[in-house]
Amino acid sequence: MSLYNMVINFVENKIAPIAIKVGNQKHVRAMRDGFIVAMPFIIVGSFALVFAFPPFSEDTTNSFGRAWLDFASANFDNIMMPFNMTMGIMAVFVSMGIGFNLARAYNMDGITNSALALMTFLLVASPASEGALSMGHLSGTGIFTAVISAFFAVELNRILQKYHITIKLPEQVPPAIARSFEVLIPVLFVFATVFPLSLYLQAEYNMLIPDLVLEAFRPLVSASNTLPAIIGALLLCQLLWFAGIHGAAIVVGLLSPIFLTNISANQAAYLAGEAIPNVFTQPFWDFYIFIGGSGATLALVLLMIFSRSVHLRSLGRMSFVPGMFQINEPVIFGSPLVLNPTLFIPFVFAPVLNAIVAYTAVHMGFVGMGVSQTAWTAPALLGASWGSGWTISPVILVVILLVMDLFIYLPFFKMFEKQLLKQEGESEESKQGSTSPSGSGVTA
Amino acid sequence: MKKILLCCSAGMSTSMLVKKMQEAAVNKEIECHIEAVSVSAFDEFIQDFDVCLLGPQVRFQQDELQKVADRYNKKVEAIPAMTYGMMKGDEALNQALSLIPN
Repeated sequence: MSLYNMVINFVENKIAPIAIKVGNQKHVRAMRDGFIVAMPFIIVGSFALVFAFPPFSEDTTNSFGRAWLDFASANFDNIMMPFNMTMGIMAVFVSMGIGFNLARAYNMDGITNSALALMTFLLVASPASEGALSMGHLSGTGIFTAVISAFFAVELNRILQKYHITIKLPEQVPPAIARSFEVLIPVLFVFATVFPLSLYLQAEYNMLIPDLVLEAFRPLVSASNTLPAIIGALLLCQLLWFAGIHGAAIVVGLLSPIFLTNISANQAAYLAGEAIPNVFTQPFWDFYIFIGGSGATLALVLLMIFSRSVHLRSLGRMSFVPGMFQINEPVIFGSPLVLNPTLFIPFVFAPVLNAIVAYTAVHMGFVGMGVSQTAWTAPALLGASWGSGWTISPVILVVILLVMDLFIYLPFFKMFEKQLLKQEGESEESKQGSTSPSGSGVTA
Repeated sequence: MKKILLCCSAGMSTSMLVKKMQEAAVNKEIECHIEAVSVSAFDEFIQDFDVCLLGPQVRFQQDELQKVADRYNKKVEAIPAMTYGMMKGDEALNQALSLIPN
């Protein structure tokens, strides 16, 4: 059996079924959809952070830069407010989003469970003290806690409802009122279970539950920033895409807590003027590894635009604008890239090489690490700069990677083009053969 | 008025197909309201539409979504790979219409 067939069998029979089960699993989906709720706040908040730190050196002579720097330092607290009230409390939105979505997956009421999840999270992450809620764990350091506490709250509620441990009011009472009484019991149960644990940890170890959760996840988060982990994640993503499954939705869905934890830590370092620690962030994934979409297909689209094959040329032209915005389903399903042995190698390994080069560039200090969560559909050149705080070197890196991808895709593209030209030539001939008169012409 | 919902991961690639389907609907002189949303919003939107078509890349969620759609007696089906890849609005429109009971 050829190597290609072995890989295909492995992906379709071993990897894809597991990934599909995982991707469909209630809690994984709730987590994915919960992060989507938080995303707009996170992106806009990140934008404000970068606005507060103009990408000019302190002694710049550039008048625009000078004006921006002065404005930023004079109004720092106000400019940072959008950041503080979004990124600074992002775990709050995550908690609400996951609580809502997990409840809906169980066909339970969305908003009451969202509120229950939020209360549970705030109880453990930011217990009120001296009339204020501490923000320490409401951002990146609280993400894993937000996920876990939302799961806990909704599952507790579900079990209580399943065994009918609620306050049941008579039929005549309006539904909204009945519902608000029903949720009294879960709230009490959350206090009865979680609060003693929180108090115990504080008394014995002077820790809050989020501190403990962070410790538990620390190895995972550290490991995520290593090159093997990055390559492993992107390989899984690409193998799934090759089988026609949305690899990015599944893999990025699972990576979201790690991405956000990492970028939040990066932002904290950025604010403190310290070295930025984490390489594995969303901008790194979208703008260095997957330029043009999963598979780094922008290079392929550019090659297609000038192809002699009718199919590839029209597909390339149609896919160029979406590709600039990181959307590439037409290329994936139209070329097709799915289950296409000729393009398998560049589809899977162009991103791997992008990752290796970008990782090296980051660690050599050529480009900065991500400090801003970005919209994944931003054009790669723009997004890379945006993600690193509007510096120029990421743009250069993206261009270098894109050129490298062009060279990686080129030989395989040529092979595929040849196959298609042959097919197109044959269909042209058979068309001509049936429409033109049989040339029984005069041979004079 | 036929109301067709398209879903994929973020609602982006399906929104490209929406335009093509609308053109096809005009050609066939059928009144259609077609919208593309993220699959995470399926729950919210399916009630107001007659049928849902999925991008093939999220076909793996079809069973879960059909379970939700069954509550409202609506059908959910994945668009074939080539139809989606080449953004063939007329084929997708025909598929959608065939799933709406008359």
